[in-house]
Amino acid sequence: MKKLALIALLGLTVLALAACGAGQASEAVTEAATEVPELPVDLDLTQLSGTVVYSQVYDMMNEPDSYMGQRIRMDGSFSYYKDEDTQQEYFAAIIADATACCAQGIEFVWKGEHAYPEDYPPLDTDITVTGTFDTYYEGNYMYVQLVDADVAWNE
Amino acid sequence: MIGTIAQYMQFPFVRYALVVGTLIALCSSLMGVTLVLKRFSFIGDGLSHVAFGAMAIAGVLRIKGDMLFVMPATVLCAVLLLRTGKNAKVRGDAAVAMISVGALAVGYLLLNLFSTSSNLSGDVCATLFGSTSILTLTKTEVWLSAGLSVAVVALFILFYNKLFAVTFDEDFARAVGTRVDACNLLIAVVIAVIIVLAMNLVGSLLISALIIFPALSAMRLFRSFRAVTVCSAVLSVLCALTGMLVSIVGGTPVGSTIVAVDIAVYVAFVIIEKIRR
Repeated sequence: MKKLALIALLGLTVLALAACGAGQASEAVTEAATEVPELPVDLDLTQLSGTVVYSQVYDMMNEPDSYMGQRIRMDGSFSYYKDEDTQQEYFAAIIADATACCAQGIEFVWKGEHAYPEDYPPLDTDITVTGTFDTYYEGNYMYVQLVDADVAWNE
Repeated sequence: MIGTIAQYMQFPFVRYALVVGTLIALCSSLMGVTLVLKRFSFIGDGLSHVAFGAMAIAGVLRIKGDMLFVMPATVLCAVLLLRTGKNAKVRGDAAVAMISVGALAVGYLLLNLFSTSSNLSGDVCATLFGSTSILTLTKTEVWLSAGLSVAVVALFILFYNKLFAVTFDEDFARAVGTRVDACNLLIAVVIAVIIVLAMNLVGSLLISALIIFPALSAMRLFRSFRAVTVCSAVLSVLCALTGMLVSIVGGTPVGSTIVAVDIAVYVAFVIIEKIRR
């Protein structure tokens, strides 16, 4: 009886984990986008719940190679930072988790010529960013960003 | 609703979370019956605080794969707590309380003094309340959690009769030749493993709920050890799945949603018990 129960348990676990590993979400979304070319983005985070959006952005930070070149749309809170040493400006959309204690942000590069603060929304404004996922290095650290981005917000 | 869930199931981290969360819920409920009956309901809380303290030390020392440090530390404390002899100067609930608050305080102090994180309050909050930890597991963590969960369930099945004997009457179990100390050691190790795993699911402050609520709910309707254990396991898995799905679809915090479902089921079982009388 115990052996049967153990075998059943191990079998169920292997089946469950095999189902788990079947395909990646990003791949599934990419395939869908290829089949339906009129879709504007590969991954639309604006359609997901806050919990999943946070987790998805976390995954994008952890495994950026899986998302390279994908067109991504996301909602977030507008954030700005300027490195006083290099005069480099950074713009980001920030997403908080469900407990509001953690936040993930994705930097974006708005396509076209835009000056801060004239052309940008006020800080913490809810914005929608649509851009192509990319990575870049500064020193030894790799960062992710949405390039060639469109930015929209409600006045 | 089903379409929405199907959409979310395309994401691998959602599938991982559901599988690992279900396995953790199953493990915690199995040992929960034994802990409640042995009057050790609060040990989960104490050990989870120990795990928090160990995690803080691992973070300060920059130990990669902190579970490799947190797990042995929690197991050690579990063994010390559950094997406290009758001649010990600090026993039972006092020992649990002392280790619990001590580890929590020292852990938070170390994090504040030596943390290298840019978001200390976020890290602490995520550890205490789970946040979206279960949805941000790496593949290695998924396999490790699944493997440990299977080991816990396998141990429970293999040693079911001995655990049953030790749970109800240690003296009788010892008299009929059961190695009670070894069984208590096994319980301590298994509980520590469950605590460390469950921190990903509900956070260290809510782990006790995951352990005790299914067992307490089952005890309202069933009397035999086997029936309570089976009912507790079924309830725990269903509550965890429901809580995770509600959280994923509704965007609520995972840990507290699961515990809220556990509480609702407990209240429902109390009402059913009253009606049956």
